Amino acid sequence: MTPPRRSLPNRPVGGRRAPGRWARAGRADLVALRARAFAHAVRRAPGRYLVGASLMGLVAWGTAALVDRGVRWVDAYPLIGSIADAALRRSVEAFVTVLVLAVAFSVLTTAITTLYTAADLPLLLAWPLPAERVFRLKVFETYLASAALPALLTLPVLVGLGTARDAPWSYYPQAAVAVLALYALPVAVGSLLALLLMRLAPAGRVKEVATAASVLLAAGLVVGLRALRPEQLAELTPEEFETFLAGFASLDLGASPATWAGDAIWNGLSGSVSAALPLLALVAWGSLAGLGRVAAWAYQVGWVRSLDGSSRPRDPRPRPAAWWERPLARWGGAGAVVVKDLRLLMRDPTQWSQLLVLVALAGVYLVSTASLEVEGQRFRDALGTLNVAFLGFLLAGVGVRLAFPVVSLEGEGLWFLRTGPIRATAVLGAKFAYAMPPLLLLGLGLGFAQATLLDVSVNLASASIVAGGLAAIAVTGLGVGLGAAFPRYDATQAAEVPVSPGGLLYMTLALLYAAGLTLLLAYPAWTTLVDPTVPVWSTPAGQVTGALAIAWTAAFTGGALAFGRWRFLRYESGCD
Amino acid sequence: MIEVEGLVKRYGAQLAVAGVDLRARPGEVIALLGPNGAGKSTTIRAITGLLRPTAGRVLVCGHDVVRAPLAAKARLGYVPDRPYLYPKLTARELLRFIGRLRGVDDGDRRADAWLEAFALAPVANELVETYSHGMRQKLTFAAALLAEPAALVVDEPMVGLDPRAARQVRDLMRGHADRGHTVLLTTHAMEVAEALADRVVVLHRGRVAAEGTMAELRASAGTGEDDLEAIFLRLTEEAAEGPPAWDAAPAGGSRRSAGPTERGG
Repeated sequence: MTPPRRSLPNRPVGGRRAPGRWARAGRADLVALRARAFAHAVRRAPGRYLVGASLMGLVAWGTAALVDRGVRWVDAYPLIGSIADAALRRSVEAFVTVLVLAVAFSVLTTAITTLYTAADLPLLLAWPLPAERVFRLKVFETYLASAALPALLTLPVLVGLGTARDAPWSYYPQAAVAVLALYALPVAVGSLLALLLMRLAPAGRVKEVATAASVLLAAGLVVGLRALRPEQLAELTPEEFETFLAGFASLDLGASPATWAGDAIWNGLSGSVSAALPLLALVAWGSLAGLGRVAAWAYQVGWVRSLDGSSRPRDPRPRPAAWWERPLARWGGAGAVVVKDLRLLMRDPTQWSQLLVLVALAGVYLVSTASLEVEGQRFRDALGTLNVAFLGFLLAGVGVRLAFPVVSLEGEGLWFLRTGPIRATAVLGAKFAYAMPPLLLLGLGLGFAQATLLDVSVNLASASIVAGGLAAIAVTGLGVGLGAAFPRYDATQAAEVPVSPGGLLYMTLALLYAAGLTLLLAYPAWTTLVDPTVPVWSTPAGQVTGALAIAWTAAFTGGALAFGRWRFLRYESGCD
Repeated sequence: MIEVEGLVKRYGAQLAVAGVDLRARPGEVIALLGPNGAGKSTTIRAITGLLRPTAGRVLVCGHDVVRAPLAAKARLGYVPDRPYLYPKLTARELLRFIGRLRGVDDGDRRADAWLEAFALAPVANELVETYSHGMRQKLTFAAALLAEPAALVVDEPMVGLDPRAARQVRDLMRGHADRGHTVLLTTHAMEVAEALADRVVVLHRGRVAAEGTMAELRASAGTGEDDLEAIFLRLTEEAAEGPPAWDAAPAGGSRRSAGPTERGG
């Protein structure tokens, strides 16, 4: 056997230790270890990574092209020509500020996992390496897990900006450094907050508190952005709009990191280097390095009270099944799976928090619909038609978080189902029954609410409710079926599951379904627009349309579930 | 009754199990031994339906695990080597879930009896995530035995158990077999196999290297007084001199004799 080219040096025996050499070797090997593990993963499933990289490349190219065009259009717009540059800069700063806030919210739970509960921490700390170096690696992992995606979203935007402004080559590395450094700051702040939570949160509840805080802050951000009521801009006169833009362009965020990043990027566009760039990089690097030291200290002095179990008094008395379990228990094994899933949902914040996001989204959607002020029945009906289409797309987006992960969430507990006497059909049926109620409630509720808020005619109101119900069923079927076909049983939380080719296929098919349903429902919408008094659903054409909509829904739902069952049966535990 | 006939499992180019035959009769405890990578876990996973055999078949009480999985699995209890239990359920809720999944009529009563037997009753309403490894292992046994399965498959039963619990589990497996059921266990603890098993099957490189009672193994190994560990080491050393299963001729060459195999078995 060929000996490995490089390996960790053994601890010197009986001689003097060389901590400096050790530390350098350890740091290099820790990073090399991760890189090698990633290389092995790519080699094992090259197709998956190729598809993923291609899709990401496509999205990045599309974003850059879109931004390029947008910037050129703004630069050429006569009304705001003089303040276009400042308005663009504020827009970019606002965009990265929102992403920075998103990173700050998501890093809370990530930091607890990487800095305290990571499975490899005991092994790494048992190595003869300074703990601080181990935790620097962990901080780097936290950074990658929280900030890599926002950074990948931002870089094409900056590339588009650079190409539109014919920036020199030096702009691109400067912009990249600015963005990468900027996202390090929320990682450091969020991780510090996570460390504080480890100390202060109620015993055994730190993950729950962190997740709840993250979700509530994220939902607050969504609602807050909506509260700005961007539709007001449409009501402004050209003069008022120009005044608004001038005010926006002169908006001063003060000496904030976002402003430093903005300085660095805009100086880079003109070929110069801003003093803000080294300042930003220094603060970012210093924050992360300091965080590594603090995390190592906190870990070693046992600042982990909140990970310990609760010490409340035990009640050993036998507890009968809850009242709500009994009807489900009559459904045999499938009912048992639903009961189990509902209990896990109630106790796992990474799952119930998805429902909070759903409520926030529904709220934003309804507020947006209510803010539309349209005169005349025809215009209201036209708008209602558009909303019917949008409802399908909205449900597709919600389904990717609610329905797609439900099979994967079995995780390592899958062995209970695989070794138990339960059919794959029953498992998927149980998952479907578990995921559908919230989506159906959302679909029917939003369908009814938008029809009421827009005061559309009866034909469109019924179409809206039917579309909501049918889309909820199809989206659940697609989510459960494709989620079973492309599971990620190793995902640590629901949000990770759709980040896969299967998730992408789900979104593609769900959007295709929504587009098809919109086309089918265009008939009653068009008939209503022509003559609102015609009882569309009583006519033969209307009934055929309804039947086609049902068949379209059944095809997507049944097809996805059948495919999912086929793949679920062929899944071999421990062999993926 | 568990019957494994000509079991072959291939992972791509690698042959993990190369034609295993074994039979565990009612009232018997069979110990499946073998060094790491011998194919024990793959064989167990095929028996429990977690893997689909590349060739051959597995019958549990006469029901094919692939063709009639529900009937086979209804008669099978399984304790994996690294049991994952839903951390956010209490022990009582977990056993209730298993009882319903397996259609046990008096599941709650049986669950309480097993919780008492394993001294888990005082913490039965606590979340599993607060349990120690040993407590989880005991709960896994309770889950596997809840439906009184005709065949019990146990992968590394003693891992993480304290001496009292280990003795209890040993007695449990023996008692389960004495009630006319079948117990198939894999273990690296030779003393457990020696004390508990009616017959021993030694797997090596995906094949049955030896099979029989302790007396038969001693006789076929040509030794008089050796304990199982010595016999095991001798058998696996001999077999190790032969070619590994994935280098060997096409799969399917299983063996049924009680004695140790020739090279490459």
